[in-house]
Amino acid sequence: MGPDFHTSFRLERIESPLKRELKDLFGIDVDTCLECGKCSGGCSNGHVFDYTPRKIVQLVKLGAEETLLKMDALWICLSCQLCLDRCPSGIDIPRILDHLREKSRRRGIPATRPAVGLFHDLMLDQVRKSGRVSEVGLMLRFNVATGQYLNDAGLGWKMFLKGKLHPFSPSVKSVKEVRRLFEESYGKKT
Amino acid sequence: MIGMDIAYYPGCSLHGIAREYGRSTALVCRRLGIRLHEIDDWNCCGATAAHSLDHELTLGLSARNLSIVNRMNLDRVTTPCAGCFSRLKGCSLALGNSHETRERLEKRIESTLAKLPEVAHLLQVLVEWIGIKGLADAVSRPLSGLRLAAYYGCLLTRPRAVARFDDPEQPTSMDRLLRAMGADTVLWSHKAECCGGAFAAAQTGIVVDLGGQVLEAARQAGADALVVACPMCQVNLDSRQEAIEEARGVRYNMPVIYFTQLMGLAYGFSGTQMALDKLLVSPLPLLGHKGLL
Amino acid sequence: MPENTKTALVIGGGPAGMEAALRIAQAGFHAVLVEKEPELGGTLRDLHSSFPRWENPRELIDHRIGLLTKSRRVTIRTQTAVMSSVRQAKGFRVSLKSLGNGGREGYEDELDVDAVVLATGFELMDASVYGEYGHGIYPGVMTSLEFEGQLKTWAQRAGDIAVDAPHGVALIKCVGSRDRSKGYPYCSKICCMYTAKQAGLVKDLFPDTRVYVFYMDYRASGKEYEEFVRQVIEEKHVRYIRGRPAKVLPEDGRLLVRAEDTLMGIPVEVAVDMVVLASAIVPRPGTLLLAEMFGARTDEYGFIENEPFEPARSSERVFYAGGCGFAIETAGALNQGAAAAAGVTALFNEER
Repeated sequence: MGPDFHTSFRLERIESPLKRELKDLFGIDVDTCLECGKCSGGCSNGHVFDYTPRKIVQLVKLGAEETLLKMDALWICLSCQLCLDRCPSGIDIPRILDHLREKSRRRGIPATRPAVGLFHDLMLDQVRKSGRVSEVGLMLRFNVATGQYLNDAGLGWKMFLKGKLHPFSPSVKSVKEVRRLFEESYGKKT
Repeated sequence: MIGMDIAYYPGCSLHGIAREYGRSTALVCRRLGIRLHEIDDWNCCGATAAHSLDHELTLGLSARNLSIVNRMNLDRVTTPCAGCFSRLKGCSLALGNSHETRERLEKRIESTLAKLPEVAHLLQVLVEWIGIKGLADAVSRPLSGLRLAAYYGCLLTRPRAVARFDDPEQPTSMDRLLRAMGADTVLWSHKAECCGGAFAAAQTGIVVDLGGQVLEAARQAGADALVVACPMCQVNLDSRQEAIEEARGVRYNMPVIYFTQLMGLAYGFSGTQMALDKLLVSPLPLLGHKGLL
Repeated sequence: MPENTKTALVIGGGPAGMEAALRIAQAGFHAVLVEKEPELGGTLRDLHSSFPRWENPRELIDHRIGLLTKSRRVTIRTQTAVMSSVRQAKGFRVSLKSLGNGGREGYEDELDVDAVVLATGFELMDASVYGEYGHGIYPGVMTSLEFEGQLKTWAQRAGDIAVDAPHGVALIKCVGSRDRSKGYPYCSKICCMYTAKQAGLVKDLFPDTRVYVFYMDYRASGKEYEEFVRQVIEEKHVRYIRGRPAKVLPEDGRLLVRAEDTLMGIPVEVAVDMVVLASAIVPRPGTLLLAEMFGARTDEYGFIENEPFEPARSSERVFYAGGCGFAIETAGALNQGAAAAAGVTALFNEER
């Protein structure tokens, strides 16, 4: 459990603007949660999460936004959709996490798993620059950025021998159209 | 053979690390009379990175691709990548469900989205639009003696409200396709469990853990090979297999083959044409042993 | 049958129907009890034991059949179905069909009745809808009703069953109930009780077998119900885990159940040999056809609905009782059968 739970909660002081936000923006109604735990039971990474999916919904109900924005689960959710698909009330937990992650970024809260955030950023950087992603380029930049120069070197070599590495991939000709998409949103934040 | 014209979205990996998927797809579709029209100047769908950090960007990236399909005067689009399928389909549904969203995106991409093409993963096109019988009719070299674990991964069928294809818990489309090719499919526990997704580089441990569970389940079910319909699943389970073997202390030697490569073999193409040699865990000994090359 | 005595048609020979027919006859009227199976008893015949007193349902069935066959005012028509009905001034002309046996198969006859009691009972939802549990795919996964049959089989072979004993059994509640997305939003009312019963019976048969019940709640609101469930947990040592399982996976020849222990907030898994699914209770398809035939009202699921302020009556001259109205336990079905009979006799008395 996180640091918010050392003292006993005063329920009458609990408000959850986040609950309202999720309802208004995405139609996600956490009041329909039966607290059954089917989401957590099948979560691909649930055994590694600091808060299981059911707990995450519970935290929304309790208005514990700070805890949610700082949790580790945010960065290692695989978006496998098993929780949403099995939830008897159809609560879109992956969407809740996406929203929280976006919010967390906007607030400048550092990711608990910096490598994950970095990887996403590098990939989107490529998309903005050329409209498409070259895996080779991405891997190399990731390795350099994380200082693991020889990471996956053996694997890279094997792939090279198999002719699977293509450092030069065609970019989008009208890449301006793609860049424009970044200007409105993502570009403004980094 | 009735011809079919359909827009084609390969996705970044089909031009990169998963070229064999693209190649086998092209040959198999040609044999079946499906004319794939690659989307002119398509852009990356954003995959996991975009939706993880910026939903508006994700919508924009897919909206651009969908609007190009419109301009091509085609009303259907397919992709062999489950991740790209999820993005394109999700976006088309979001645009179709909300005027406000559609207008906003039209302004952003400066193009009309009035007509939205139907989005289907390649597997769905083959199994549902061509039909099992049509697929079976083209078989000249049945894949007899092969015991295959059909691996669907996550985004092919989930979430059901978006994918609207097959059953997310006990999917059978790929199994039926493989049996139509003459192979046997095994009953196994992990056909729709996650392989670790986009975390191969940033959190390799997760892929080793989850991918390892998938391989172990396939091994226990007695499969000779895993069959996939997504380049991410393929790369995770194939390129990380050695790391998984080290972590688990088990030798898997489990080839992870794209379903189109196997279809191509069944249709009489050679192993070279199907680029089977590109897979890190080689399927050649297995296929040779079964007399399929 | 004397010309002047009013007759009620009771459709369904389970506890509700048997009770209704009996009470109508005891009040001096006639009842024709129609049942499509070769025997009376309904779903009770499939049950091995009952809650909350661990009684043998066969004794109740036999007792009721004894009274019904002795009564000169009850006509029992087993292996018979109601094919059609035409509403008349003060009743219905129904057409009945024999379903088999004794050379009467296909034989149709007509009957004029003055009232109808629908008592067609319930069935269980198709559990294969939940692919994550593997019903119909993994051997060893069965519905609660199928498991009841297994319990009967085990009990009958009392002497030499030790060989057959499963090492572990998991019972999963709320499969299809309390589920807005793939099943039904309602609670099927009796599964918490019968699951406790089944779990307790396994421990009685095989004390060394590990038995787990996966629950969201346990609903034990009835006389002696709470004590019954506590007995199963505290004296028979069935392990209750709060969490709706996400998936059943075959592993090493056994079945692995994955869930979250929500009270601790940690993922848990357990390997068992059998998984029992408490499937949602739904009305039989035949009930909807009969409702249409007799002008009874139904809800969006096909359960019979009552008229405002008339709990046992669905429309004019049409009464109902038991599982066809909603999930119910045996005692409730008996009570409702009596209530439907009261409605019928009040109507008949009024029209004397």
